[in-house]
Amino acid sequence: MNWLVDLWQWVDKRLPVQRAWDTHMAKYYAPKNFNFWYFFGVLSLLVLVNQLVTGIWLTMSYNPSAEGAFASVEYIMRDVDYGWLLRYMHSTGASAFFIVVYLHMFRGMMYGSYKAPRELVWIFGMTIYLVLMAEAFMGYVLPWGQMSYWGAQVIVSLFGAIPGIGDDLVQWIRGDYLISGITLNRFFALHVVALPIVLLALVVMHILALHEVGSNNPDGVEIKKNKDENGIPRDGVPFHPFYTVHDLVGITVFLFAFCFIMFFMPEMGGFFLEYANFEEANNLKTPLHIAPVWYFTPFYAVLRAVTMPIEIGPLVLTAKLLGFAAMGAAIALLFVLPWLDRSKVKSMRYRGHIPRIMLIAFAAMFVVLGYLGVKAPTEGRTLLSQIATAFYFAYFLTMPVWTTTSPEKAKSKISWVLCGVFVVVFTWMGFEYIGGDVPVLLLILCFLLAAIFAVLPILAARDKDLVEPTRTQSKGLPALVVLAGLALFIILAVVPIKAVASEGAFNCGAIPCDHMEPDLNDKESLQRGAKYFANYCMGCHSAKYSRYERVADDLGIPHNLMEQNLIFGDQRIGQLMEIAMKPQQAKVWFGVVPPDLTLVARARSPEWLYTYLRNFYKDETRPWGVNNRVFPNVGMPHVLIGPQGLLECGAGPKLNHHGGALRNDVGQIEMDEHCGALKEGKIKGSMSAAEFDEAVYDVVNFLEYVAEPVAVKRQSMGYYVLGFLLILFVFVYFLNREFWRDIH
Amino acid sequence: MSNDAVNQTRRRVLIGATCAVGAVGVVGAAVPFVGSWNPSAKAKAAGAPVKYNISKIEPGAMVTVEWRGKPVFIVRRTQAALDSLKKVEEQGVLLDANSDEPQQPDYAKNAERAINKEFAILLGVCTHLGCAPAFRPDVGAADLGGAKWQGGFFCPCHGSKYDLAGRVYVAVPAPLNLEVPPHRYESESIVVIGEDQGA
Repeated sequence: MNWLVDLWQWVDKRLPVQRAWDTHMAKYYAPKNFNFWYFFGVLSLLVLVNQLVTGIWLTMSYNPSAEGAFASVEYIMRDVDYGWLLRYMHSTGASAFFIVVYLHMFRGMMYGSYKAPRELVWIFGMTIYLVLMAEAFMGYVLPWGQMSYWGAQVIVSLFGAIPGIGDDLVQWIRGDYLISGITLNRFFALHVVALPIVLLALVVMHILALHEVGSNNPDGVEIKKNKDENGIPRDGVPFHPFYTVHDLVGITVFLFAFCFIMFFMPEMGGFFLEYANFEEANNLKTPLHIAPVWYFTPFYAVLRAVTMPIEIGPLVLTAKLLGFAAMGAAIALLFVLPWLDRSKVKSMRYRGHIPRIMLIAFAAMFVVLGYLGVKAPTEGRTLLSQIATAFYFAYFLTMPVWTTTSPEKAKSKISWVLCGVFVVVFTWMGFEYIGGDVPVLLLILCFLLAAIFAVLPILAARDKDLVEPTRTQSKGLPALVVLAGLALFIILAVVPIKAVASEGAFNCGAIPCDHMEPDLNDKESLQRGAKYFANYCMGCHSAKYSRYERVADDLGIPHNLMEQNLIFGDQRIGQLMEIAMKPQQAKVWFGVVPPDLTLVARARSPEWLYTYLRNFYKDETRPWGVNNRVFPNVGMPHVLIGPQGLLECGAGPKLNHHGGALRNDVGQIEMDEHCGALKEGKIKGSMSAAEFDEAVYDVVNFLEYVAEPVAVKRQSMGYYVLGFLLILFVFVYFLNREFWRDIH
Repeated sequence: MSNDAVNQTRRRVLIGATCAVGAVGVVGAAVPFVGSWNPSAKAKAAGAPVKYNISKIEPGAMVTVEWRGKPVFIVRRTQAALDSLKKVEEQGVLLDANSDEPQQPDYAKNAERAINKEFAILLGVCTHLGCAPAFRPDVGAADLGGAKWQGGFFCPCHGSKYDLAGRVYVAVPAPLNLEVPPHRYESESIVVIGEDQGA
């Protein structure tokens, strides 16, 4: 063992390993009163490592070309051993990164961690956030799905708003006249090489700057001001081992939540992986509803909130430019936060009422903006997004008014002007929408905000900060105050959202979707579905990301049966499920190329497919003599006419927007004589209605399987992983308690 | 003091136990990263066993079948060709006439290096530096030793010679006989290259 010690000393004399370890871990004294909010820094680091490692592994199988990108992602999801897991780790990690970063930022705002002497820590952090957004945006383009493509189209076009150089700039960013493989290639290079290097460098700066000035804490106390005779802060504990064991608890809990999402709901209801992105990019067809991924939506909502151009004499500022400017300003304001906050007190624990309420309202409005950015705009939502946007700016721009320590300054002329601007904005907004199709609640909110800002300088002059303690406290705010704050946040976020939440359209075209619950463990149903799929669908539709062999093995179909009955032509069992029909011919025959169906159940819902396949009806005006109630004027003929027969339009109840029958004033059901319901026509099917429903169920069940063949395995693996994390939690919990038992 | 000692022990046990559980987690987390380097389904499909209907081959002719990206030679040997194997042996020019080197599965370790002696199934990769040898069935070819040449394979890269069972000659650069790939007969006329007989 002696030579190991010698080697260690040899290295340490030449490289400051021990010194670095001491500076940043063993002798870095962190305040001993860190709470729950202080986990998110180390969690960001954890997610960063996850993104780097899984990202490196993904590039091993990814193909950054317009022709191959989408297929290579499906190749990773299906053909590469554990490729699906690596990809889900990366995609879930991207969203997790923003969750922890947003909470980390909120922590900073709550405890004044941006205030002197930590301004640079904050600025490096904000730069990390900015680079992270660029990194995430470019990463989202790489799968080359519809959302990748149109998201890139929208975001890149934003730069076109810059007067004069806009159009040339957009073309330069794209390197083409449209978003194309050339754009994809440069985004790939930036995403996997350039931006990660920048991110890593910024993270190092962020931590170096933090460790130079020392960590803030929930009490906002500078622990370096109170040192013992050895020069060690009395309220500090060495980061290692105390916070390493402490962070392990947070990490384990975080991993539990992370793995739960990753193994059981990797799409997170369309927020982490958007449904439309399971369709390959098509530069001629925009998806009906496009929204950025959730972590961009607050700023996207700010962008959309600006709908009015400003004309000052000959100078016309278009709404497009102003929206872009507002979005930029919304991010830029965060950078100067350390200088907007004039208070001497750091932590919200010792702030007055106004800063506390303002922070909660700000967080709520940020969530509201995030919600609105996901939704298609309506008049009500536009007003709400304008209110929230105005409040976002008011929060920062009036901050000097309500954080100043002198009542005179609070009531100074500048204060009145700053607040007055927002009084005008809110009042004008309210009058603008009176009589519009907006909830009254929002109008009240508008005028209420105008009134609040009108008296804000007076309120601010009365509001006083408390006395900041000189030593860290063992208790924070009383539970009642914390709960009241949480309640206020929930009310401010949820009530406006509820006011504009009404959805009009049905999920299945002209009708509500029929219920359908896929059962991937029902092998017999899946086998029948595979048979129907090969017989009825594969004449025109491929499933070209799936392999016959995988289907046979997963569904328990012997290879020779698969080869004899389900594989046509001379394809081998290991091959992809491609079809012989050429896309050009198909275009001539059907007007559109029949889409590949491998992923259709992820792009659409199983309910949609189930309803769609059962709602063809006779319509002589259409080229194939049929139409569809779910997909009007669809280009597909009624392939299942043999088993189903041909339904015809008949009278049926008109539907209200809940999908129930619409009733007239006297309570009678209103009838739609044209096509309220479908009834049996002259051409009868070989199956009864119930048999046919079951057959369609089987096909859709199969499509659900083939869209994500690993789904069953993913979930069963998830149980083991969560079980392991529970065991790990027990150990880290007791380890943490062991180390902290004597720290008070 | 005693209290401290108890704490130290408990601490060590807890640290050890947590590290052990954590190590299990790290190993588990490494599984997908290590596993993803295995041949993918695409690679496996491309390298899947190949079926070939050998009844289509003319006597004396050779076909080349691709298996895992490499040429596999299938020669339908005539009786004369089979007789020639003995003759070459008698000339004493073969390096490994008895196929002692493991260049063939056990079921093909015989005089003809084949399951069905009519068909020679050989990997067309010269054991010297990996060129594909040319099929030279022309007995007595002037450029290959005249009357002594009984037909076989000749590698154009560095002049290695093999007989019609893929056995390498002496005094050529190649050190080993041509490899016989794993194969089995599904029926009399269908051979599956890439799967062992009895597997």
